[in-house]
Amino acid sequence: MNTIVCVKQVLDPEIPPAKFKIDAEAKQVIPPAGVPPVISVYDERAVEAALRLKDKHKGKITALSMGSEKAADVIKHAIALGADDGFVLQDAAFENLDSFGTAYVLAKAIQKIGEYDLVLCGRQAADWGAGEVGSILAEILGIPVITLASEIQAQDKTLRVKRIVSDGFEVLEAPMPCLITVGSEIGLPRLPAGPRLMMARKKVIPIWRAQDIGAEPTKLDKQNAHTEVIGLSVPTRKTECEMITGATPADAAAHLAAKLSKLI
Amino acid sequence: MSPVSATYWGVPGFFIFWGLFAIAFGLFLRRFYFLFRLVRLGKPENRFDRIGQRITSTLAVIASQGCSLKSVSRTDIAGIGHAWMFWGFGFFLVGYIVFVGLEGGLGLSIPSAFERVYLSILDIVALFVVAAISVAVVKRYITRPARLERKQRRKEKIIMVSLFTAMTSLMMLHYCVEGLRYAAYNLSSAPPIGGVLASFLTSTGSSSATLLGTYNAIWWLNYVLLLGALVYTPHSEHLHPLFSPANILFKSLGPKMALEPIPPEEHAQESFGVSKIPDFTQKQLLDLLACTWCGRCQANCPANLTGKSLSPREMILNLKEHLLDVGPELLAGKADADSMIGSVVTEDEIWACTTCGACQEVCPVNIEHVHKIIDLRRNLVLTQNKMPESAQLMLRNMQSRGHPWAGIQSLRLRGDWTSDQELKVLSDGDTADTLFWVGCTGALVERNVQATLAMTRVLKAASVDFAVLGETETCCGDPARRAGYEFQFQMMAEQNIEVFKSHNIKEIITSCPHCYNTIKNEYPRFGGDFKVVHSTQFIADLIAQGKLKLTKDLKSRLTYHDPCYLGRYNDVYQEPRQILQAIPNTTLVEMERSRNKGLCCGAGGGHTWIEEQPGTTKINQLRLQDALGTGAAQVVTACPYCLQMFEESIEHKDKKDSLKVQDLAEIVEAAMR
Ligand code: SF4
Ligand code: SF4
Repeated sequence: MNTIVCVKQVLDPEIPPAKFKIDAEAKQVIPPAGVPPVISVYDERAVEAALRLKDKHKGKITALSMGSEKAADVIKHAIALGADDGFVLQDAAFENLDSFGTAYVLAKAIQKIGEYDLVLCGRQAADWGAGEVGSILAEILGIPVITLASEIQAQDKTLRVKRIVSDGFEVLEAPMPCLITVGSEIGLPRLPAGPRLMMARKKVIPIWRAQDIGAEPTKLDKQNAHTEVIGLSVPTRKTECEMITGATPADAAAHLAAKLSKLI
Repeated sequence: MSPVSATYWGVPGFFIFWGLFAIAFGLFLRRFYFLFRLVRLGKPENRFDRIGQRITSTLAVIASQGCSLKSVSRTDIAGIGHAWMFWGFGFFLVGYIVFVGLEGGLGLSIPSAFERVYLSILDIVALFVVAAISVAVVKRYITRPARLERKQRRKEKIIMVSLFTAMTSLMMLHYCVEGLRYAAYNLSSAPPIGGVLASFLTSTGSSSATLLGTYNAIWWLNYVLLLGALVYTPHSEHLHPLFSPANILFKSLGPKMALEPIPPEEHAQESFGVSKIPDFTQKQLLDLLACTWCGRCQANCPANLTGKSLSPREMILNLKEHLLDVGPELLAGKADADSMIGSVVTEDEIWACTTCGACQEVCPVNIEHVHKIIDLRRNLVLTQNKMPESAQLMLRNMQSRGHPWAGIQSLRLRGDWTSDQELKVLSDGDTADTLFWVGCTGALVERNVQATLAMTRVLKAASVDFAVLGETETCCGDPARRAGYEFQFQMMAEQNIEVFKSHNIKEIITSCPHCYNTIKNEYPRFGGDFKVVHSTQFIADLIAQGKLKLTKDLKSRLTYHDPCYLGRYNDVYQEPRQILQAIPNTTLVEMERSRNKGLCCGAGGGHTWIEEQPGTTKINQLRLQDALGTGAAQVVTACPYCLQMFEESIEHKDKKDSLKVQDLAEIVEAAMR
């Protein structure tokens, strides 16, 4: 079973809010110094899902990441976890693409790789959180998509997927090849096993540019983007504390109840 | 005159003597060889280096009984008791060789003057031995100090009873043989106690034939008992008289508690660390046979003292029992070795250890517990991918973020502590002789950053020319290593060594004992040889050279908490105390458990991040009690983890008014101004 996993490198979500800075003019986040970017959490779960299938059914896992040259680190991370191979998609033309553009680039790379039974993505990226790329990518590739998977089982040429919905889960089946986006409900990713860590560190990750994957310039043209960022701001967090008092505990409770009923 | 020269039922005594000896010695050798082969089930490990030094120091420590005397608390007299028994048996052993072996077995005649003197000595020695045995029996079965407290297995009870009975019997038989001999042969100038017995026997009016017959019988009884002891010892589980000396001989001569790297040629293996008997090294298996059950390790183990399931003694003894159980089948190649994790040693035990080294410090026979625990962790983490969630979180952080911290709102960013500090921050291509290595905790956690800043100000005040790495500093790798994630550690070690070399660093100062131990003692195995100094050593040196003057009167009563990785791991006990004593008008009071017996703060071995298991209390709270017990207003430490642990326990117990914790650098800075 051959799986392709798309992984994204993001700013470390553990950066304390106070240290989070943006350039409102350029509508960009300013990466703080001294904090290495990390693999997007959901994408790491997608790698884990791929590994679990590989544990059972053998096969090959290829990791893909579109981003800067530093994205080689997340590919190495995927390889340390157990992926067999990986490529970085980097080109000036790929910068600041929207979900449609990103999906297009990934699709071209996947088509270049050629044979696959399954494409896995995280349910959304840990930075922008749009959750669109997976579905669009499936559309371009012309394969079925199941989102928000919490469990994936493979049998012959069919995948059986437990999908999280707001009040429980549903079980869906899809023929291979197909695309599945993975949620954190799939479970904690494993720790990269011993020596793979050292092997991955030394590995040279090939970089594919626009012409390597045959991406058409018009599709990458920002003018043709489907979405536009209007503004970017750091959410302000405000906490207020008010002590509710009363002569007796019962009094205080009555005041609290009155206050709450006003708030709701 | 010897009963051996007589003939019994037509068989010469010599035949009987050597026949019995051959049988007993044969049985002894057979069992001993079996045990030797058990040890050989382990992986070879070269412990034959510096063999001359090994032999002399082993002989010295055993003969002087330094091993059993060194590690017992002042209120525990077990070491003295053991020393008496040991020396006593030493005298008896010589006596047996001379009077049983040479005189009896070989028929040589022993000069009567020597005999009288030596037997007189034995008369007194036997009294001491019996006294020591009585005290041991009282301690073991009546007063029962905590360290001896343990649910003894039936086998063990039998062994202890046989041991005490046999020893007492041999002592008693000594007097009987002696008394009868002097009475039967009517010899004059008998040794003191033998003499009294002889005159009593003579006064009973028994015929000399009766006396002679009884003498012969008792002599043979004594001989048979001796041979019995020879056979029984290796067959019982009380193997320490046979294996402890070897264990001391092959003890580690390197830095204390330093771990062995997984060598590159083993990187392609499927399984790492230890889960089965053959995964251990030969020395690790020898350790198991050498344990004396003394319980000193357990009595000093922070995990055990706070009610966790881990007892270093039980762990060793359970492993030993397992070795003796499965050994025969393994030797016969009949069975594959089973995993011991979960059955012989539980995962809880494996993760409860803080690697504080207290067990190894007090073990009289140099058993290396920490090694084994880390090897078991290596198997869990590297082979089975099994670990507590908190450990996994920490290791994932190490792997993806380069440090073990995450998820704290107040966390600093790497290097931001250097802003506005006018420090020489190294960037690519810069060089410096002296590097102040801050360590993750000192760079990222607010409270610890305060201590780091204090240290930089102290260094500046003494005009030390130093540089820092700022945002390019990563973790030294220690938390990963102690949690068993060896490859992550090796990668970090290699990276850091490259960084040090690229900046041409000669000397590294650090405030973190864990970084200190790692860079100083463990990096050399990866090609990094740097001069590494702990901040306390560096400051003590600055004071000694007059570059730093502590003039301000702090009028304080202080106590000092020894960080395990500074004290026990590296024997730095003096310098921190020297510094504190150099502050005018300051009283330094010691906690009951201090220096090499100091109690861990609870954070070592990755436990700053690995959640502490439920027990009777938390380790840092137990240590807080120790500190409060001194009545000191401040507890000073020299480790970022200890600082945190004390802050936490003080906060938790609401003791902020009575006790304050400070890093040594902070106190020094306060005393400078
Ligand atoms: S190293 Fe410390 S915590 Fe671990 S077993 Fe020994 S005494 Fe106990
Ligand atoms: S390991 Fe050492 S200290 Fe612990 S019981 Fe055995 S001999 Fe005693």
